[in-house]
Amino acid sequence: MTATYRLSQPVDFAIVGSGAAGGVLARELSLAGFSVVVFEQGPRLTLGSFEHDELKHWFNAGMTNDPVKNPQTFRDDRSKRGERNLIRPSLTYARTVGGSSVHYTANYWRFHEVDFDECSRLGPISGTGFSDWPITYAELEPYYTKVEWDIGVSGLAGASPFDPPRSKPYPMPPLPVKSSGVLLERGARQLGLHPFPAPLAINSQPYRGRPACIHCGFCHGFGCEVGAKASSLTTMIPEAEATGRCEVRSESYVVQVATDKRGRATGVRYFDRDKRERFQKAKAVILSANGAETPRLLLTSANSMFPQGLANSSGLVGKYLMFNFTMRTHAVFEHELNEFKSVQCSRVVHDFYDSDPQRGFYGGGGIDSRIGPQPIIWADRIGEDEGLWGSAYKARLAEFPRSMQAASHGTSLPVETNSVELDPELKDAWGMPAMRVTYKDHPDDLATMRFLQARAAEIMEAAGAVKVTNAAVKPQTSSLHLLGTCRMGNDPAKSVIDRYHRSHDIPNLFLCDGSSLVTSGRGQPTLTIQALAFRAAEHIANFARRGEI
Amino acid sequence: MSCNEQQRVRASAARNDGYSRRTFLRVVGALGGAWLTLDLAKVAAAAQAAQRAQEGPGQPGTVFLSQAELADVDAITAQIIPSDSTPGAREAGVALFIDRALATFFGRMAPDFRSQLAAFRLRCQSQHPNASSFAALTNQQQVNFLKLVEGTPFFARLRLLTLVGMFAMPKYGGNRDGIGWKLLGFQDQHIFQPPFGYYDRDYPGFAFEVVERP
Repeated sequence: MTATYRLSQPVDFAIVGSGAAGGVLARELSLAGFSVVVFEQGPRLTLGSFEHDELKHWFNAGMTNDPVKNPQTFRDDRSKRGERNLIRPSLTYARTVGGSSVHYTANYWRFHEVDFDECSRLGPISGTGFSDWPITYAELEPYYTKVEWDIGVSGLAGASPFDPPRSKPYPMPPLPVKSSGVLLERGARQLGLHPFPAPLAINSQPYRGRPACIHCGFCHGFGCEVGAKASSLTTMIPEAEATGRCEVRSESYVVQVATDKRGRATGVRYFDRDKRERFQKAKAVILSANGAETPRLLLTSANSMFPQGLANSSGLVGKYLMFNFTMRTHAVFEHELNEFKSVQCSRVVHDFYDSDPQRGFYGGGGIDSRIGPQPIIWADRIGEDEGLWGSAYKARLAEFPRSMQAASHGTSLPVETNSVELDPELKDAWGMPAMRVTYKDHPDDLATMRFLQARAAEIMEAAGAVKVTNAAVKPQTSSLHLLGTCRMGNDPAKSVIDRYHRSHDIPNLFLCDGSSLVTSGRGQPTLTIQALAFRAAEHIANFARRGEI
Repeated sequence: MSCNEQQRVRASAARNDGYSRRTFLRVVGALGGAWLTLDLAKVAAAAQAAQRAQEGPGQPGTVFLSQAELADVDAITAQIIPSDSTPGAREAGVALFIDRALATFFGRMAPDFRSQLAAFRLRCQSQHPNASSFAALTNQQQVNFLKLVEGTPFFARLRLLTLVGMFAMPKYGGNRDGIGWKLLGFQDQHIFQPPFGYYDRDYPGFAFEVVERP
């Protein structure tokens, strides 16, 4: 029973964004008895509309931000003018109810203890904002468990000797291993490493009313047609609506958080689906719009009291953008793997997770076995390795069923100049300033890519690959992982939100999504984003009950 | 429906090699509410549209390119994915796909494409003043000329459009008869079952020792 609220009646919480974090906050706060309106830029899609349509989803913004209507500019240096990309924006996110949890790969690694206190262990890194988090892994552990059980994660507890402590096993066994997983496992064991079954937010068996995976092979960049992949669209949002206290307004694009003379948030101004301006009053506002849109909204909300944008007394809103990275090692084997079937990953190696000063640079990460992308992008990328066209290229296309990818994922250092800000010229289809992205990988990030890629190639060789090719390491110009742009911290001069996700400057404005992260982790941030959202929801509910908002 | 019944339905579906979208609809339909709210009407409409695109009459004339431009684009795509012992971009209908795409869903790329194609044709003409067009060059001349321009934004764009036309769903007009997917060995199905490939066929199960953390 979906609630419907009047614009003039202040709701307890206006939540901007219905994705991984927004879905959790909506469900938890409405379950706790509060009135909630969730605003989502994009439409509400049905599972039946989720086709295996690579053209639509990878080249025509099927459910992602549209490079024409939602344009961005990108530059790798602050001295340059931002360039616009008409095929795909630099920062991509799903613009639909459920957000990027609808089209993600659903890799659900927990962060390890070091991800929270690595600066104390290793010391600061000059030229970066490398810092400890104000919270520890132990504080977040119960919420990791809550995500795994409430949303549904398949995996094998205890299988990785590098995993941090956990209070409960996974609720479902791992998905069936794929040929790529068997080969990664074989190669890694040959080298004395410790491969383990990939934890995935995809049902290996029916769970909480959703069916098991049918192995169709279209997770990465696509919506799951049967709902076996957990998304906010199929998990948290329906549960929030079922409370009778949560209204989800799709195609409602929030462009401003308003504040009053006391410097408190009063509600949100948004465009409805007919591009009419509306204003929803709210007692508190939570931004879970993702690591790109949350800082942008704070900046477009600038007013005479907050001329630098909201929550920006530190000047750090939009700064310290981090991506993680994914580097390809392409391997061809003698027999068919048929990686186009089933989920992306079935085995992971975390032996190189921790940073090791002896390597001479900061960084670490994981290596997993993957399909890689669907046919069009696969065909594009293998051209980069050995020649773009012609008969030899065509012969390599036919290696598709015998190919796999060992993908390396790892750290991004927080660099202040890597940022999301407002483009001084370009506007979107609603007349709002477009995003300008500035990003250049730290040299240690590039070194980490090369290091992990070399390890991945060794694993593929040890597994008996007939051909192994490492993709060229190049500075990243785009990402789906949008992290760190409103970082959490105890010091209001060096962070945007406090340890409870409350903005340092505005007591009834909370930010919770990828922007909250202080360090990047080693890839696969969604589980951590959702654990943070469960934790934030608990504290925010307590503040509200005690009249402390 | 019990889990066992679901598995049986899925297993019997997976045995059917020519597994179609229609079969998928029947199976999902049989599974009822447990499979959540699949929007069957929309799925069926999409499947029918794809079917019509494949069965439809011969391709109409061009809508964005001139016939001479189409001939050059076709020749370039046929160099990118040539026709040899197996069909290539030409048989997959990639050039006409590109023509339609630039007039419709890839319209945002059209202005750049037109000016870049004009520059390509001019450059070709200055290299080969006696040839009427790129398409009229010999195979070796085409290869040599493309090697000169393979680093240009135009070639990168046209190459990407070729791959899209080769491997996108046939309903968009390229990948005719699934030629692109057959070249790759890709199967577009909704349900697969393990074992998926050669190496996971006799997998004994994941063996590990639980390591007690200090």
